[in-house]
Amino acid sequence: MPKCTINGKEVEVKEGTSIIEAMQQSGDRIAHYCWHPGLSVAGVCRLCMVEIEGNPRVQIACNTMVTEGMKINNTSEKVKDAVKWGLDFHLINHPLDCPICDQAGECGLQDQYMEYGKYDPEMAEHKQKKHKVVDLGPTVVLDSERCILCSRCVRFTEEVSKTNELGLFNRGDRTEIGTHDGMPLDNKYSLNTVDICPVGALTSKDFRFRQRVWYLKDAETVCNGCSTGCNVKVYYNKEGFFRVKPAYNEQVNGHWMCDEGRDIYKFVNKEHRLAKGMIRQGGTWKEVHGGAAAKAAAEVVKASAGDSLALVLTAQYTVEEFEAIVGTFVNEFKTKKVFFWINNKESFDSFDGLLLRGDKNPNTKGLLKVLEKHGITATWNDLSAGLANGSIKTVVVAGPENMAAFPDFAERVKELSKAQNIVWMQATKHEALTNLPGNVWLIPVKTFVEKDGTFINHAGLEQKFKKATTIVSEALTLTEAALLLAGKNLAIPASGNEFKPMNQRADQVELEARKKNEFVFRRGSL
Amino acid sequence: MSVVQNNSEKSKWYLPGILGGLNVTMKHLVTNLLNRKKMMTLNYPEEKYEYSPRFKGNHVLTVKKDGSLRCTACMLCATNCPAECIKITAAEHNDPSVEKFPISYEIDILRCVFCGFCEEACPVDAIRLGPEWQTPAVNGGQFIYDINHLAYRPSLKGGIQTHVDDEERHKQGI
Repeated sequence: MPKCTINGKEVEVKEGTSIIEAMQQSGDRIAHYCWHPGLSVAGVCRLCMVEIEGNPRVQIACNTMVTEGMKINNTSEKVKDAVKWGLDFHLINHPLDCPICDQAGECGLQDQYMEYGKYDPEMAEHKQKKHKVVDLGPTVVLDSERCILCSRCVRFTEEVSKTNELGLFNRGDRTEIGTHDGMPLDNKYSLNTVDICPVGALTSKDFRFRQRVWYLKDAETVCNGCSTGCNVKVYYNKEGFFRVKPAYNEQVNGHWMCDEGRDIYKFVNKEHRLAKGMIRQGGTWKEVHGGAAAKAAAEVVKASAGDSLALVLTAQYTVEEFEAIVGTFVNEFKTKKVFFWINNKESFDSFDGLLLRGDKNPNTKGLLKVLEKHGITATWNDLSAGLANGSIKTVVVAGPENMAAFPDFAERVKELSKAQNIVWMQATKHEALTNLPGNVWLIPVKTFVEKDGTFINHAGLEQKFKKATTIVSEALTLTEAALLLAGKNLAIPASGNEFKPMNQRADQVELEARKKNEFVFRRGSL
Repeated sequence: MSVVQNNSEKSKWYLPGILGGLNVTMKHLVTNLLNRKKMMTLNYPEEKYEYSPRFKGNHVLTVKKDGSLRCTACMLCATNCPAECIKITAAEHNDPSVEKFPISYEIDILRCVFCGFCEEACPVDAIRLGPEWQTPAVNGGQFIYDINHLAYRPSLKGGIQTHVDDEERHKQGI
């Protein structure tokens, strides 16, 4: 364990740590572009200069290992000067088209120029013209002029996705990033290159020009795309959700996430959501408040409590919700007919080696745990048999949020429609639901970004996440729906005491909404 | 509200004050009758006052030589706008040298406070505050100006161009 001194502070690091890692550990700021904690060291940007006592010249921190007793300094005039003019070289051929660049606002060049640059450019030559708006593949667009050739994306395709699509072509100031002939950037992790690009050279086709980043707020949550449970940041504003980016978690996903998971913001937005409760009794649909629909359904559920009542659950909800609704059914309605709706059974255990899993539910483990706790052993065949012979009259269903993960949705709806009464709790709209025969109660429920909760991922890791915002105000969580179905009233939820700061008075009024609306000006990081 | 009390001896006599006021009125009446050209009032709307060219009135979106909008939909005006009256929807242009352009640019003129911050924020001289200020409309919807009105309304005679030539600048490599 070598000890070193960074800017006068003594730091103890592991054997084989580079100076830049030691500085991250000690919390010192250092300029850098090409170094990324998840990738190998390239040492091409020459910005992470530090002065080491005993060395006549400044050195790069990313490729120098810490040795015992090393004295490192990156606040001296010599280092500042080196970084400043290093930046000037990066910006020689940079087009400065920030107004139309999607990265503006979370751009490494902007941040570092304001922090370490602020020079007057001394370059009299014309800028090198390169290719703009290059289509790299189905998800990514390249602007070579903005590229500063840090080679992060190239290293990503070499080391992480191992697909080797990208490369550096030509030499000197004509160097460009590009794809090899006939090999578009088309892999399941391609959008990570956009995340790690410190400038706006690589932009996502999906997000391109849709919002300026300073209009977006972010919230950390857990991806509900598959059972890996990657930690993600969702970006949203009052118009809805716009993109998903990975958040670092060493235990789960490291720095990355898959392209499939980046689509999870889509079904959350208003246009895909069930906004109102709907009731159909005897022919015509009636639109009611979400909670009213649940209350109306309570009578029917209560009437058929016992053996003619069944509950169907998808593994898309939180542990707390499963606990509440299964508990209600077992204890209040005295039925153990709780069924687990398993989607794409064949690919359930598949895994692509990096992050993507075949189980497209975030909380399969959590649901199984709750079912086991209540001693429920019913299988889907029991449900099919019960529906066929008419012993199950009322079915309560907690449908999926992510319809893309449920290709058999319409089929299952058809199967369940044999029941007389169907209480369907669902976040997303689907025409199969409005075509249901018989008596139907459609209850809008909240998606994973609208509630606090816990997901248990494939490895049994419990991950708590907090609510980001509300999209459909009438929607209920399963917990609330369970209370209403049992004929109780909704209690005002005790504000999560575990998240309260220690020095807060008991009668403190929380201004959550106001805090959220405040302008967040430091966004993104390198 | 504060009340200013004048407790001087003079103020106890109300007639001098009234006569003083009447004096001013009569002076203006007489001068206006004798010299009508120097009269302060205008016969609006037949006569209109000429404001200075720097007057901040209704917005104008400037155009390029070919008549298309200069605006690049960078949203700096919308970000800078204290009244939050600008709404822009950006889209990808077919021409890669243009790249980004607004498919819709709306200003809610009733919200606008005519501060001119949009003009100041614009990096490409695409929005200006023009001299127009009398803009009646018959319903609320007409006060939301779209691209058609902002750039191509009849009074602009096909659009306002700026003296900055993008093509030239691009060729020079700036």
